[in-house]
Amino acid sequence: MQRILNLACGSFYALGAYTGVSAVTWALGHGLPAPLFLLVLVASGLALAVIGPPVERLLRAVYDRDESFQLLLTFALVLMFEDVMRFVWGTAPVQLGNAYLVYGRLAVAGSTVPVYNLVVIAAGGLVALGMGGLLTHTRFGRIVRATAENREMSAALGVDLRRVYARVFTLGVALGTVGGALVIPATAAVNEMAIDVVVEAFAVVVIGGLGSMRGAFVGSLIVGVLKAGAIATWPEVEMLAIYVVVIGVLVLRPAGLFAGAAP
Amino acid sequence: MIRRGLALAAAALLALAPLLAPPYQVTLLLPAFAYGIALLGLNLLFGTAGLLSFGHALFVALGAYTAAGLTTRYGVLSFEAIVAAAAGLAAVVAVPVGLLCVRYVKIYFGMLTLAFGMLFYSFLYKFYALTGGDEGLRVLRPLLLGRPFAELDKVGFLTGPFYYYALALLALATLAMRRIVRSPFGLSLRAIRENADKAAFVGVSVRRYRFYAFVIAAVFGAVGGTLLAVPTGLADPLLAYWTHSGNLVFMLLLGGFEHFLGPLVGALAFIFLQDLVMSLTAYWRFVFGALLAIVVVFFPRGLLGLVAPERPA
Amino acid sequence: MRTTRRQFLALSGGALGTAALRLDAAPALAQNAPVKIGVLAAKAGVLAPVGESGLRGVQWATERVNAARGILGRRIELIVEEESSPKDTVERFRKLSLQDRVDAVSGAISTGVGLALGPVAEEMKTIWLSWDATTQKGVEETLPKPKYSFRSTDNECEAVMASLLTARHLKGKFRTVAGINPDYSYGRDNWAAFLAIMKKYGIELSVVSELWPKLGATDFTAHVAALGQARPDLIFSCFWAGDTPIFLKQAHAAGLTAKSKLVLTTGGGVHEALKKDFTPEGAILGYNCLYFDWARASALQKEFVRWHHEKFKEWPNYESDHGYFTIVAYKAAVERAARAAGGKWPAPDAIIQALEGIEAESLSGPRRFREDHIMEATFFQGMTTHKNAYDFVTIDPVETMTTKQIQKPSGVGLYDWINSWKV
Repeated sequence: MQRILNLACGSFYALGAYTGVSAVTWALGHGLPAPLFLLVLVASGLALAVIGPPVERLLRAVYDRDESFQLLLTFALVLMFEDVMRFVWGTAPVQLGNAYLVYGRLAVAGSTVPVYNLVVIAAGGLVALGMGGLLTHTRFGRIVRATAENREMSAALGVDLRRVYARVFTLGVALGTVGGALVIPATAAVNEMAIDVVVEAFAVVVIGGLGSMRGAFVGSLIVGVLKAGAIATWPEVEMLAIYVVVIGVLVLRPAGLFAGAAP
Repeated sequence: MIRRGLALAAAALLALAPLLAPPYQVTLLLPAFAYGIALLGLNLLFGTAGLLSFGHALFVALGAYTAAGLTTRYGVLSFEAIVAAAAGLAAVVAVPVGLLCVRYVKIYFGMLTLAFGMLFYSFLYKFYALTGGDEGLRVLRPLLLGRPFAELDKVGFLTGPFYYYALALLALATLAMRRIVRSPFGLSLRAIRENADKAAFVGVSVRRYRFYAFVIAAVFGAVGGTLLAVPTGLADPLLAYWTHSGNLVFMLLLGGFEHFLGPLVGALAFIFLQDLVMSLTAYWRFVFGALLAIVVVFFPRGLLGLVAPERPA
Repeated sequence: MRTTRRQFLALSGGALGTAALRLDAAPALAQNAPVKIGVLAAKAGVLAPVGESGLRGVQWATERVNAARGILGRRIELIVEEESSPKDTVERFRKLSLQDRVDAVSGAISTGVGLALGPVAEEMKTIWLSWDATTQKGVEETLPKPKYSFRSTDNECEAVMASLLTARHLKGKFRTVAGINPDYSYGRDNWAAFLAIMKKYGIELSVVSELWPKLGATDFTAHVAALGQARPDLIFSCFWAGDTPIFLKQAHAAGLTAKSKLVLTTGGGVHEALKKDFTPEGAILGYNCLYFDWARASALQKEFVRWHHEKFKEWPNYESDHGYFTIVAYKAAVERAARAAGGKWPAPDAIIQALEGIEAESLSGPRRFREDHIMEATFFQGMTTHKNAYDFVTIDPVETMTTKQIQKPSGVGLYDWINSWKV
């Protein structure tokens, strides 16, 4: 939306994951009934949105310069966040005990699926719907879309660009941290998470189209299916296939599969 | 005049470094030279043509793997042959990649180059039998101008003949890039950066010029990569990873992309800073991230922007 | 006074070139100056937990040696640098050697870094005592007869031992096999060794899936799905890093661990993360060369384990032991060489000679360096159990094998050696 390619999105994701473990462990230690851990995860992810405004304030310093500087600034954030997380949580993998299977498992068509996976999928769908609703049916959403379309025009019409940007960015941070928090029951938080995730997130965003919510959703499905398909058939091309598609999309439809005009 | 004098004095100092400085500091200059050459290319794209590549490490890695493949697999030890092969290979790879990339500018150019860099990384990492996978390929000690310098140990070799060879290559690359930047071609690139529409209007073929710049940058990147690989003795996939590309851009910005010598200053500053900070703290990435942020926000013209604020013609 | 003289020499070393270097290496110079040992320890990324563990072993050994009059009266001074990419680590090694003038370097675990450091140690004429990364490629192809590099145990030891245990305990109980191993030489070599040994034991099997996720991956959904489709009786994996618990957790959630037997050659690298919730009982699990909970452990190991847990709130893993051994082996070698030299501090070449075949007590029992610079140690593996006081699995019964049984002898190819077994 803001035309910022945020390399630090992986760092927000990792931060959400680490914080989610700490928050849930703390809450369970204070007598929280286990099935409620999901709420704590979401709450801790949302709470992390407080880092959105200060980070956005930093990026604001380069809004009026070449976009490349924004890219670089987010790269600086990647380096800094990596060490901050290492300092706070150490280097050993950090995980939640048995939260993953609190909701049980389901047998579907011969394979077993943890219910939690379905919860996360449902949460992903809800977030997508919510974002769609936010963007199409609220005043804030209309302003955001108008600004993404033409910032000069919206500024001329009296939109406070600073406030819009700060809110959009914070929303983006919150989505990243909540996302990281939601996956943590199924995995473990590790140091290299941020740097690994960002390249996949990057592929998702490019395939779907920068600034397109629907695109991001479909992009993530494509990347997921591509990866699974490659692993099942020809493991050598697992990573390769994703980048080939990314390049293909960039070359053929540079604005992504779900955006209108080319840049 | 003063600027030229300073540059000559710096060159003289570098030439005398093996005699004056402790051997470890001299070996540290080698990656700085290698990065210097690669960054000259990167800066032709960014400083001159206004295109920021986040995948320049692809070509650095290509150069390193050329050196590795030729010395270990094919027994080619002549460094001249290695440099020529790396340059040629980089050009061959850069033609299709460049044709695709230069159709876009700004963030899209950055993303496409990043994707190509990661594509190459995946190739190096996954095609184990061909590339050695994660552990990479060794780079054997090359012959310089046909001579093995067998009487020298590796440190003697690195701080002696190889040092001067690298320095000479850097000087050649610098002079070549100077000619390129000052040629009508370089001026056209600058015109394109300032205003592509206007440049096209006066008859500059925007896309073709950007494409040439891309290929030249790739060749410089690969030549830098060959020099980088010899002191390490190994080419590994991390050389192509996106964070390495990020570091290259970092160096460039640190030195000052608006200045012709910015790449060289940036490479030197980065290497010596990294050496210092890595020994001081385990959290050197944080220090470097903070430094990068400060440079981007407050000193976008880099170190040379501090000492020579006005833009050289 | 001594230090100023050394500094002066260091300065003039730059001006006079190599002549001064040789002067500085003269042994008589600094009888009371500390022995400098450089340490290369990974501190970030996927290698970090293991790298830190190695560093702790080195630090503990150093504290004890220094508390007992050091080495021939000289204290050990550690200079710690970070192991990261091969390029940066080679530069760190040069710094330790050229600038800090260390007497030896201890450390490094990544196979890529190990491959790069081997030749550099020879070039710099600096003793390098590696913690890990002893690959076939590194040893056989590139440095068959090193002088300055001393390597850890072979990478394949764990796979060989786990394969022997598989043959012993699971023969006839499985037919279809899947391998999921990290995508680099360690994973490739371990998987190949496993298959070779199964063949040697006449165990007919069919490989239904071979998966190579990137080392340190955090999402195995697709891999688990592929394994679910393949329905293997047995899953072989040599994961050792943070990817181990993640894979197990996701495999358990998909019901995989209930259907397939598991062979985890090296999961002990992150044993504390292998929670009972998702790690089944009855899996073969390897701890490399230090099992923290061994009932028959020496007083030394028990003391270290206690110290480690008090200080870091964690139970140690094998890399501490590798690190510990490099220090005590160096001390033993210096003392052995000094005895031959009439009590004087020995020259580097004499120390190297003494290191060949040196024996010392490591945390997990006696160890030695073979004459070809490869470490010999005892390995610990067994069947996982939930019957313990922790929230993670341990093994019972604990099986031990020495490298005499599970490491190829000097000068023989791994597969030639396996094929020469009489079974």
